[in-house]
Amino acid sequence: MSYAYLFKYIIIGDTGVGKSCLLLQFTDKRFQPVHDLTIGVEFGARMITIDSKQIKLQIWDTAGQEAFRSITRSYYRGAAGALLVYDITRRETFNHLTTWLDDARQHSNSNMVIMLIGNKSDLESRREVKKEEGEAFAREHGLVFMETSAKTAANVEEAFINTAKEIYEKIQEGVFDINNEANGIKIGPQHSPTNPSLPGAGGSGGSQGSGCC
Amino acid sequence: METSDSEYFESADEDFQSDEENTEIIKSDEKIIKVEKNPRIVDVEEKVGNLQIVKDQNMNKDNDNEVECSLENIKNDIIVNLEFKTKENVKESTTKKEENIVENLYVEGSKIAKDQNMNKDNISKEENTLDNIKKDNNVANTEKIVKKPEVEAFKDSLNDLKEEIIVKKPVKESKIGNKKIMKSKPIICEEVTKKMEEKAKIAKPEVKKSIDENLWDDDEIDWAKEEEISKNTPVLTKHAPNTDKLEPDFSNLWKNDDWVSLEAPSKEPSKITPQNDLGWGSWGTWGVSSILNTATASVSSLTTHVSQGISTVLETGIGVPDPEELARQHREDEEEIVNNVRNIEDLKDVREINALGGFGLGNWVSGVSHLTKLVESTGTKVISGGLDTLETIGKKTMEVLQDGDPGLKKKRAFLKLDQNKPILSQVLREAKEKSNDDNKKLDIRNSVRMKNYETLFDDHQGLVHLEALEMLSKQCDIKLETLSQNLTGGELTDMQETLEQVKELCELPEEDDDEQLTIPEVKEKINTAVSEINIPITYDKLEKTWEETESWLETLKLNLIDEKELHQQAIETLAQLTAFSVEQFHKTAELLLVKENRSTADEADSLVQLTASLIALIGIVAAKFSDKLNSKAPMVNNKESVNELITNVFFEASNSSSYIQDAFQLLIPVLQVGAV
Repeated sequence: MSYAYLFKYIIIGDTGVGKSCLLLQFTDKRFQPVHDLTIGVEFGARMITIDSKQIKLQIWDTAGQEAFRSITRSYYRGAAGALLVYDITRRETFNHLTTWLDDARQHSNSNMVIMLIGNKSDLESRREVKKEEGEAFAREHGLVFMETSAKTAANVEEAFINTAKEIYEKIQEGVFDINNEANGIKIGPQHSPTNPSLPGAGGSGGSQGSGCC
Repeated sequence: METSDSEYFESADEDFQSDEENTEIIKSDEKIIKVEKNPRIVDVEEKVGNLQIVKDQNMNKDNDNEVECSLENIKNDIIVNLEFKTKENVKESTTKKEENIVENLYVEGSKIAKDQNMNKDNISKEENTLDNIKKDNNVANTEKIVKKPEVEAFKDSLNDLKEEIIVKKPVKESKIGNKKIMKSKPIICEEVTKKMEEKAKIAKPEVKKSIDENLWDDDEIDWAKEEEISKNTPVLTKHAPNTDKLEPDFSNLWKNDDWVSLEAPSKEPSKITPQNDLGWGSWGTWGVSSILNTATASVSSLTTHVSQGISTVLETGIGVPDPEELARQHREDEEEIVNNVRNIEDLKDVREINALGGFGLGNWVSGVSHLTKLVESTGTKVISGGLDTLETIGKKTMEVLQDGDPGLKKKRAFLKLDQNKPILSQVLREAKEKSNDDNKKLDIRNSVRMKNYETLFDDHQGLVHLEALEMLSKQCDIKLETLSQNLTGGELTDMQETLEQVKELCELPEEDDDEQLTIPEVKEKINTAVSEINIPITYDKLEKTWEETESWLETLKLNLIDEKELHQQAIETLAQLTAFSVEQFHKTAELLLVKENRSTADEADSLVQLTASLIALIGIVAAKFSDKLNSKAPMVNNKESVNELITNVFFEASNSSSYIQDAFQLLIPVLQVGAV
């Protein structure tokens, strides 16, 4: 029940790409072929273990519909990780990635780890977006990339856990200030930070400025 | 700065006459205080050498007290500034200097404000004016003049002087009320208006009286009576034939005076009264007009200097001057300061000679203007440097702040919102964590792990829904704020009225204890409310939860269940219902925000009904569980613990109600956004 850290995730992407199914597969290990349209945001949570530390992932599964865009944007704030999902069988969901990415970068903190996910990899016959394209996009924009299938659960765990690992590494490197909840990381109730004290990322930059004022 | 200074100086000129009126009385105080001065103060006086001369003069010339008073103030100021300065490293950059100027300005500003407050006749204004002139000079000069060991002595003497000032002040103030006496003799300079003259004439006998009265009547002084007496005094008519005409004015004078410290006159009336008599004869010898002229000239030249300084600043432009340049300027300043110090020393010598030779006032006055000019030139240097950097910093700050946020709208809105609203979900989270800690300790003893309310509330995702609702609510607040900033006048008022109306619509009905709703009634109310709000929202899950709980309670075998389990079930149910209510409020907010045609009145009404119904439901659930616990009580050995459990159920029920109400409050901005 207790955890060392809590990471806030957001799942974003066009409507119908399988965001809620990915979440359901990750939290409940089941697949629901027909899913209700998400209203605003739904939540899921699961405990994972990284480096023998319990980490609670709190996942905000946002609505992909255009109508909810203005609402879902308000939820980006304070997310440590984002899963940006497109549907490999629908080219337009891939084409919209830039818009989503800009949105996410604008409304969240700059350190947020973004994982690009090409979902529905089980539907190979209907594929419209090549894996290489996804990889290229991810490289270009500094994202981690993975193709998943919420139906077969292929790579679903990995997608969520690899993102968590990235965040965890960033914490270890001191990029994330774990005491600032705007970064989407909360320290667990029974755990005072066990890792060596991490100097804030901005520490080196700050010393220069202090002289002038 | 320029404007305010010159305005200020003008007013100081206007008040000059009243200063003179007061002079004689102040003199008497000075003398008393001088006796009490300790060696350290004398030390300070020597350091600020020129002041001593004035003192010497003062011994000879009664009317110089005014000046002495000013110089006393200057001295004090120098010392104050010394302390400021010595805290700083002398070698530090000019930026530090500016900071001090700003600090000094604040000190000065508050001082002026205080003085004005205490003294409506602005007697101390003239002193402050002089202080203002000196102050900037001091900032620069003291850096060079003072060496470390001296600093300590100065600090000590500063404290002594402060005490001295404190002693002095009330006495001075008390005189202010009486000051009108002083001007009873007709030998008055041209600048003084006739009206003032007459007022003074009237005032004189009366104040005398009041002083006498003070002798006998320490604290309570009936000024109204005094007035009465003065009106009827025969002396009055002798001195001022126009009394009748002036009477109304005269009473106003009394009203305007500030009688804060009245105990003081009673202590020294005997000293004052003779002074009054002695002093009158010497007014004529005073070159009042020349003083005034000098003051005015100094003011205008200082003003020019300051404006020059400012234009220099503007010319030097936008970029922060680079350190090298600053250093160079600083060195120049230093040289200038050293020169100034030499000049001051020369001046001192000259004045000493003057004092010895009995040259008197004329030379002294020229000395003052010399000094003033020195002060001006150094002051201007410092000011210009200071303003330069301050302006640059200010510009830069605004640039950074406005970057991507023209008019700072977003930031303003954001800051405003963040200021006073505690984040509910965070508070809850902390509460959860705290009780988790407590539970951990309890778990060691209890084999059955009990979950607390907050944890259960979180398990049912109440917490995260609440957090999301808060985010939406905040977003709406920002939106409203942005909207209102684009409106002016009537539009703005209209909008504010609308917002207020929505708020009024959202007022929850007073809790009515008599009217206990039943479950079916609550259900009906919820359904009506949901249909009214016209969004695809459903409370079926709530109903289902409640039905399950009800059947669980009915089939409950009281003799088989542990009272702790029963309690746990109660808490679980409450947490679940509350979490679900919060979730539905969150969904409502989302759906309302994407809804095309809003009807705020219906929405508000519906939500008020919903909130009331949900709170009622919580009450019913809590009551049902506590009934069960009550019936369980006779079967248990430890009745106390059962009572505690019952109390806890009601406690958590009230918690639930407040979470629901808080969630409802978060919906208000959402409704408001729909209304505007």
